[in-house]
Amino acid sequence: MRRNLTVVLAVVALTVPSAEAMAAVTVPKAAAKKIVVSMKTFTGSLGRADRWGDVQVTIVVKKTTTTTGTKKTVKRHIESIKVPVYPDHTGRSVFISEQALPRLIQEALQAQSTHIYIVSGATYTSDAFGQSLQAAITKEKAW
Amino acid sequence: MVSTALPGMRRIEHVMGMPIVIDLRDDDAAEDLLDRAFDEFRAVDERFSTYKQTSEITRLNRGELALADAHADVREILSRCEDLRRETRGYFDARAAGTPGLDPSGLVKGWSVERVSNLLAELEARNYAINAGGDVIVRGRGLPDDCWRVGIQHPAMDDKVAAVVVAGDLAIATSGAYARGDHIIDPHTGGPPAGVLSVTITGPSLATADAYATAAFAMGTAGPAWTARLRGYEAMTILADGRVLKTPRFPSS
Repeated sequence: MRRNLTVVLAVVALTVPSAEAMAAVTVPKAAAKKIVVSMKTFTGSLGRADRWGDVQVTIVVKKTTTTTGTKKTVKRHIESIKVPVYPDHTGRSVFISEQALPRLIQEALQAQSTHIYIVSGATYTSDAFGQSLQAAITKEKAW
Repeated sequence: MVSTALPGMRRIEHVMGMPIVIDLRDDDAAEDLLDRAFDEFRAVDERFSTYKQTSEITRLNRGELALADAHADVREILSRCEDLRRETRGYFDARAAGTPGLDPSGLVKGWSVERVSNLLAELEARNYAINAGGDVIVRGRGLPDDCWRVGIQHPAMDDKVAAVVVAGDLAIATSGAYARGDHIIDPHTGGPPAGVLSVTITGPSLATADAYATAAFAMGTAGPAWTARLRGYEAMTILADGRVLKTPRFPSS
């Protein structure tokens, strides 16, 4: 998996692929500060990678442009990497997306302010239930 | 949160050593619906518990009951355990659960939730969620204008979720080391799997999703590649180094 990832990233670095705009969000801020966040998906060209067969990688890049007066700063961050794991027995490519946990926590925190009704987790016993997040939610939505 | 705003009714009972929550969101459900649902869980417990001296599983393990004489449900469960053991290359194994003899509890839990879900559907319930110790089935909608949203427990922070699954009709099972210590072992090494904090599997059957989650977790860092090949089931694996690996159609927002 790790070796595969290295190969695949090299493919991206070599080919500067055509970009397809996914979304653009403008967040207005006070004091003439303007932040523009855009997400773009880059797809690398097909590369040959030994026993993995044809390899094509897709990365999603988040570009944050902050403009304060005349000063402009641009930050780019790879949000997710999609790499083939291996072709399965029918020859279909099988993909896994990779993301970092902290970003997911942010997303999840935002989602938490909306409605979460149920929590899936590793088996909690009756003894452990009192400390679980499900117990808190059950209490919050209490009858 | 104004609790009275939620439609339907909710109940929690402790059966099979775990809390089971049924959250029914239909306003027109029959009064005794939840009674009948929990009666069904208790009936499954009577037949399958490894703790009850009179259960069929206990009697099978003591040699007092022949497999051919066991209830059709017991034979079905044991047959599915064997199929899943082969499919998971021995990583899900009802014979390796720490006790001598058979312990199909890992499959019985999800199967019993499926069974109760089917019972609720037969009794004309349309919108409900069942959560048995962290294994979840949702059907219909959480609110008339909102899908079910199922938080996936964050493996490192008790009061946080790591992702939110948005679903209509779906089964969601999570395996991890955090809830009861290292309760899943790699049957091939006898030790806890390394490098993985939790595995969540979604798909049509909760029993199968649960067995896949147990197996993929036991595989350690080889689990994600295995989950990528599953047909009809999606996976999210949280690694110890903070990376989160998802199959392409994993239904998180």
